[in-house]
Amino acid sequence: MPLRVRLTLWYGTALALILIIFSTILYVVTARSLRDAVDQSLEETAAAAVRSLEERGFLPLIDETELMSQFPELARIDKFFQIFSPSGTITIRSPNVKEHEMPLSRQALEVAYSGRTIFESAKYPKEPPLRLISVPIMYRGSLLYIIQVGTSMDSVEETLNRLLLVLLVSMPVALAVSLAGGWFMAGRALRPVDAITLAAQRIAGGDLTQRLTVPASADEIGRLTKTFNDMIDQLETSFRQIRQFSSDASHELRTPLTVMKGETELALRRPRETDDYKVVLESNLEEIDRMTRIVDELLFLSRADMGEVKMEYLPVPLDMLIEDVHRQASLLGQEQDIQVVLRATAPAVVLGDELRLRELFLNLLDNAVKYSHPGGTVDIALTIEQTHARVAVTDHGIGIAQEDQLQIFDRFYRTDNARAHTKKGTGLGLSICAWIVESHRGRLEVQSKVGEGSTFTAILPLAPASA
Amino acid sequence: MRILVIEDETKVGCFIKRALEEESYAVDLCEDGAKGLQMALITDYDVLIVDLMLPSLPGLEILKGVRQARIQTPILILTAQSQVDQRVKGLDAGADDYLTKPFAIDELLARIRALLRRGSTESPGVLQIDDLALNPATREVTRGGQRIDLTSKEYALLEYLMRHTGRVLTRPMISEHVWNQDFDTFTNVIDVYVNYLRNKIDRGHSKKLIHTIRGSGYMLKVD
Repeated sequence: MPLRVRLTLWYGTALALILIIFSTILYVVTARSLRDAVDQSLEETAAAAVRSLEERGFLPLIDETELMSQFPELARIDKFFQIFSPSGTITIRSPNVKEHEMPLSRQALEVAYSGRTIFESAKYPKEPPLRLISVPIMYRGSLLYIIQVGTSMDSVEETLNRLLLVLLVSMPVALAVSLAGGWFMAGRALRPVDAITLAAQRIAGGDLTQRLTVPASADEIGRLTKTFNDMIDQLETSFRQIRQFSSDASHELRTPLTVMKGETELALRRPRETDDYKVVLESNLEEIDRMTRIVDELLFLSRADMGEVKMEYLPVPLDMLIEDVHRQASLLGQEQDIQVVLRATAPAVVLGDELRLRELFLNLLDNAVKYSHPGGTVDIALTIEQTHARVAVTDHGIGIAQEDQLQIFDRFYRTDNARAHTKKGTGLGLSICAWIVESHRGRLEVQSKVGEGSTFTAILPLAPASA
Repeated sequence: MRILVIEDETKVGCFIKRALEEESYAVDLCEDGAKGLQMALITDYDVLIVDLMLPSLPGLEILKGVRQARIQTPILILTAQSQVDQRVKGLDAGADDYLTKPFAIDELLARIRALLRRGSTESPGVLQIDDLALNPATREVTRGGQRIDLTSKEYALLEYLMRHTGRVLTRPMISEHVWNQDFDTFTNVIDVYVNYLRNKIDRGHSKKLIHTIRGSGYMLKVD
């Protein structure tokens, strides 16, 4: 069932219930108070009659004309009265009850003997419904008379009937009107939802450039629309990244394949010297190593993305690690006539995975050596800054242009300069470095100037004990 | 036939160059986009092979640059991206054909032959003048049904002459299309090779095909 129908139905049911309860209470209370008012008026009249009789010392009653003249309050048109003897026979009655006999009921007589007042409702043929009060007049313990005052309930019943009619007619009308209103309002409230659905369908069809128009109001729909747009933004970004990534990955893997295929085919086109085959096989081996490295690094990164890379968090003495890595990198630099210098060190302990941290610093140093000019120096320095350790690796090589600095941590991103400088890189090293630093709750920064060199700084939080 | 290869992956560029040279083409290799465009604008190449992903200047820009200069040289693009849109963009920018890496060498050579065919007016697969025939696919040369063995350079020279039958070809034209940029212009190498070719093609035949045009160069024609 559509939401709009359900909303309207819920709303209608709730409203109908409220209307029914309200009308019932209204009717009951009105009926009750109208009847109470009648009873009270009857009681007052009866009391007045009793008082008059008392004033007269309960003298035996003469005739009705005299009585009427003595009790003008009894002559009111809307009420009648009768006075019964203790046996229940009528002694006197007001002129407006001439037409029909209205004898005292058995119950009223019995109650009268016990000296209590009783209210009764009565209905005689061809008469409006009546309300009666019967008051016994006692004298020294015995029943002298029973005074009965009555009144027609006609007007009360009519009022109540009219009220009932008004309620019965107006309730469905009000319900219908408000159901229509509810239907309209629900439709209005749900219209933006329809718009969102349509947009979502288009987006599901693959068009990630679609956006919803955000309504000016900051209500639930406005928030939903904005959230939805933000979500599409992120989707679009990650889709683009994935597309870029797979295109880059396929490019990086195709290049070694192209070399291997091309060189092998060329070698096989005609008989050649043994040395020629050797050159081709050596070259192919290089390409195989390159592909292996790319695949390994890709695998590592995708496992890291899925959170499957196990990381230890143990205290690592950073100063000792740096010294060790420095020794290794010095050997690496010697081959290319580059001096690796440990500029500064300080005792520092970080919580982390020693193997990964070693990989991080070796990677950074390897890069620094790779992009340095022969005869140059690479500096490494470990300093403490309040709660953080800073490890800076500085080279004086080709440097990185400002516009490239943001992207160098992206997977497979290699600047043209880097490509021209060394064919060996995979474009994944810095992505892995950044991942290692981030998984240690640190950050990796770069400062660089083209032609002057670059500084990569890993900022790692110190272990709490040594901080 | 002289070919320019613009490819930044050194190893890829090298094996393409070697494969082409073994087919007697004169090959220049350039690893930089901007420099490659300069070379393509200066020298009259017969085919350009351009990688789309290049440092300094993307392959697409090279295509546009060459076509803007109204140079009609056939261009073959190499791309590592198998995406259709890259190829479409390349072809729209003026490329005549494309190859996706990794590619088969035989296919590369066949496509280059096809592009060279397209360049001249109405030459079929086998080039023929009188009873002299040259098959670029098999590199077989016959005269009157007799097989003639040629060295690589001789073959290249003959192919160039045969593709331009009936036209006077000056020494600079010949050096530009048969030799690569390492050629030293101030030697008589061209005359030496033309003589080698005469010995193999025209000797013993009453009908001479290779003619010297005094003061200009050479021409291949039937009298």
